[in-house]
Amino acid sequence: MEIRPILSALLRNRTGALLVGLQVAITLAVIANAFFIIASRLEKIRRPTGIDTPNLIFAESEGYAPDYEHAATLSSDLALLKGIAGVVAVTSTNSVPLSGGGSANNYHATPDPKAAPIAGNYFEVNADFIDAYGLTLVAGRAFRAEEFTPVPANNDLPPVLILTETMAKTAFGAEPALGKRLYDENGKSGEVIGIVSDMQGSWLGNTRPGPQDLVFHPNGGFGKTWRYVIRVRPGERDRLLPQIEKALNGSGHGRAIIWVRPHEYWLTRTFRADRRMVVFLSTLVILMTAVTALGIIGLATFQVNARRKQIGTRRALGARRADIVRYFQLENGLLGAGGVVIGALLAYAASGWLTNAFQMPPLPPLYVLASALALLALGQLAVLWPARRAGAIDPAVATRTV
Amino acid sequence: MLDMQHIIKVYRTDLVETHALRDFSVTVAEGEFVAVTGPSGSGKTTFLNIAGLLETPDGGRYQLDGDDVGTLGDDARAGIRNQRIGFIFQGFNLIPDLDVFDNVDVPLRYRGFVTRDRRARIERSLELVGLAARMRHLPSQLSGGQQQRVAIARAIAGDPRFLLADEPTGNLDSLMARQIMDLLAEINRQGTTIVLVTHDPELARRAHRNIHVMDGQVTDLKPYAARGAAPDAAVA
Amino acid sequence: MLGYYLRLAWLSLKRTPAITLLMIGAIALGIGATTTTLTVYHRMSTNPIAQRNDVLRAVTLDNWSADRPWDTDHPDNAPAELTYRDALAIAQGAPASRLVVMRKTSLTAEPGAGRPPFLVVVRLATHDFFPMFDVPFAYGAGWDGKADRDGEPVAVLSKETNGKLFGGENSVGKIVRLDGREYRVIGVLADWQPTPKFYDLNNGEYDTPEDLFLPFALGATLELQPAGNVNCWKPETLAGLRDLFGSECIWHQLWAELRTPAEVERFQSYIDGYVAEQKKLGRFPRRINNRLYTVDEWLARHEVVGRDSRVLLVVSFAFLAVCVLNVVGLLLSRFLGAAGATAIRRALGASRGEIFRQHLVEVGLVGALAGIGGLALGAVGLTALQQLYSSYDRLTQLDLSMTLAAIALAVLAGLLAGLYPAWRICRVQPAGYLKTQ
Repeated sequence: MEIRPILSALLRNRTGALLVGLQVAITLAVIANAFFIIASRLEKIRRPTGIDTPNLIFAESEGYAPDYEHAATLSSDLALLKGIAGVVAVTSTNSVPLSGGGSANNYHATPDPKAAPIAGNYFEVNADFIDAYGLTLVAGRAFRAEEFTPVPANNDLPPVLILTETMAKTAFGAEPALGKRLYDENGKSGEVIGIVSDMQGSWLGNTRPGPQDLVFHPNGGFGKTWRYVIRVRPGERDRLLPQIEKALNGSGHGRAIIWVRPHEYWLTRTFRADRRMVVFLSTLVILMTAVTALGIIGLATFQVNARRKQIGTRRALGARRADIVRYFQLENGLLGAGGVVIGALLAYAASGWLTNAFQMPPLPPLYVLASALALLALGQLAVLWPARRAGAIDPAVATRTV
Repeated sequence: MLDMQHIIKVYRTDLVETHALRDFSVTVAEGEFVAVTGPSGSGKTTFLNIAGLLETPDGGRYQLDGDDVGTLGDDARAGIRNQRIGFIFQGFNLIPDLDVFDNVDVPLRYRGFVTRDRRARIERSLELVGLAARMRHLPSQLSGGQQQRVAIARAIAGDPRFLLADEPTGNLDSLMARQIMDLLAEINRQGTTIVLVTHDPELARRAHRNIHVMDGQVTDLKPYAARGAAPDAAVA
Repeated sequence: MLGYYLRLAWLSLKRTPAITLLMIGAIALGIGATTTTLTVYHRMSTNPIAQRNDVLRAVTLDNWSADRPWDTDHPDNAPAELTYRDALAIAQGAPASRLVVMRKTSLTAEPGAGRPPFLVVVRLATHDFFPMFDVPFAYGAGWDGKADRDGEPVAVLSKETNGKLFGGENSVGKIVRLDGREYRVIGVLADWQPTPKFYDLNNGEYDTPEDLFLPFALGATLELQPAGNVNCWKPETLAGLRDLFGSECIWHQLWAELRTPAEVERFQSYIDGYVAEQKKLGRFPRRINNRLYTVDEWLARHEVVGRDSRVLLVVSFAFLAVCVLNVVGLLLSRFLGAAGATAIRRALGASRGEIFRQHLVEVGLVGALAGIGGLALGAVGLTALQQLYSSYDRLTQLDLSMTLAAIALAVLAGLLAGLYPAWRICRVQPAGYLKTQ
């Protein structure tokens, strides 16, 4: 079938064609970018935490009484928690992974404080932390119990450190990190005695330090606050959580148990904004596509009604139903192609804005291509119904004058 | 009352130029009943459109009641159509969504009559065409002849001085056509000037005077008295 | 004529109910989506203390490292917070109508009577905090300058904390136990939820205000631990809180109330002079860069409107545009589809203006119905969002200004969608439509 007569028919109904073409264009620009945002958020939400999240419980204790003993409370709590049947391992810690709150330090690979700093997210833990988080030791050894200092005298680096694999690469590149030293800005240093598997640190999507640039210090903190990581046997978390809360609350020490929560609490909280974005964008994408499809149906129906006589004449002159249907499909294809080309340009313009204003990565062409194909297919689907109705027009329409 | 002198109307598209009226002159006096005949494409409808101020001429002079109306603006022409002219079409041209009463009401609304006045006029004109009992019917519930009577009621409800009818019986059988022509003759007797466009010589004979149009020009003016000698062979 | 036009519009809309519903639905969806995102955006960006915007100034001093700026992305920005010593020195010496220095800590409240102790987030502030920020009291009042100087153990409770500790009754004069010490309640706040929490954007900009307020001086005398962010740049050995007080770490917020331009100028030259003095002592290695921000400027600097809500706002407006284009197409088809009737009206004497107004009334009716539908959908959208925002539920309440905005938007969208079709249809030449049916 020839394209020229279809094009000239489209040009005659310029306004209608322009309106539908623009709808397709805007829809493409939005959905291509929306799909990209949705995909990157889903990737973020589903990224593994690196720790045994389903079986982890965190608890916070804060001393308040005048006679509160920080170090004594710690050793008593650890013993208490380890004694609960079903608890696999326990460590104290300063930060909850992916909670959005934590501590960072500038380290140096040489004693020279002028050297470029290496940012690290540090976790203060005791000797059992590898088991408690559910990490694996990749090289070297774990902390020994005597290396743990419950209340350090100052903020100097401890003498021994453990790094994640990613942090080892960030700090020392291809060279083996084991046995090397990391320095702080006061020139104090610690020896890297172990490398553990990667886990997500305190902050999601951070750049300095990177999300998996973690350093473990065998320390407690100076404050009156402890947090505990309690790993339980699979499937026992929900049963044990109230039991743990009760045990801690009942143990005295002049402190308050501020909260006892599964690790998933923080994941839900941390990813809430991303989930919201996914839900909201998906809803808008669905509605927008539906409205555009209805627009296509509307225009095609109008075109069919306006051309009843012409269609009848074509039928009288020997056009088959399929020819009429194909005519409208081709017309819609041309319209869609025009819209998609403009839409692709708009999509990149929108992506440029997102990159500029929010430092988002540029839109990969795959998303534009896939969205364009999806819209073209949707257009064909939408036009099918009015096109079939056009095909069903009686050839006798041509000969009726009134 | 209607005076057209040397009217020219040209339709242009990208490819062709059609001279619908060329040097077209005609005069219709107050109270006359004039039939305009001619074959299809001769310019009858163009004449009617210009006479009814639906279109403007490209040249020449058109006076209605002594006023130069050929060059008026759109709103002024709409006003004159509304107050002085009644239209009757071949296709009846009733508004399908509106019932009989509301259809007759349309020109009166734009005239700005008060409700009581409008109601009285509508009832009176529907009485005249014999459809007072069908006021709340939709056009689709009426026969062709009834629809055309509604259209006539609509055309005369505002008491126009001048009635333009374009093949008013074209879509009707002969019995109904006769009824419509009787109605038009009655309206004319009451003083309304009527210009009837038709290609049917039978109908044209009921007018006082026939104007024959051919290739956009008036070819022959025949007084009422000469109707027996009309050259019917020229009519398509 | 309006009544007549309305009746014609109603007849016309009734004739093709599917297309009518489609048009109303499309605009309503667009309005619903934009109302939802607009409400969240508006809530996020609204200045909660607009009435005092011009007299309040957030104070920043650039005490950061010579080697790198506080914010590498915006190197001209001084740090958002201050050191203890600078905040205190300025609070004691600077010429201002009012001035507040403050920070965050947390304490454990013991409600007694066998109920378990719980954590309260505490704001340590000087007495001007309450009048400067228009903080509403349900009972009692804040403390005075003397309480600040003497570090009196007095407390102001939030409405919620008063509910938890005293069941919501007037607790002025009662005693609250915090970390083993007794404090006398001197005031209870009425409901106060400034959103965003403009006076401390560094520690949870959409958090609710603190649970309890204590005189600032108590933080030093009782050595209360910081509960907000502490940022440091200088290699310093810190052995506990005492060292933090003397360090270059920043963890205090400072606001001044400056009522005239002259007062602003005087304050600016005071802090510039102060930093110049400190430079002589070897501190403040960067160039003098002390800035005062109005609340609006402060909100802008912290980009409190999240990027997601800005993206959603743009997407919802794009959606509205698609809906409007769609409706323009439908209206155009529908008006031109009924061009015959319009031609008859023109022939019978309707002027272009009358035809235009008739169709505009029809469009207006669609717009009004869509506006109502859009508001309903917006309310549904916000209710759904409530699930997704939970703690930020104040962000998702439809308020009067947003309701008005939605109505205005609906009318605007309806007019935008209807103007062109109405104009097109009133240009229809009647002659072409009358000959055949």
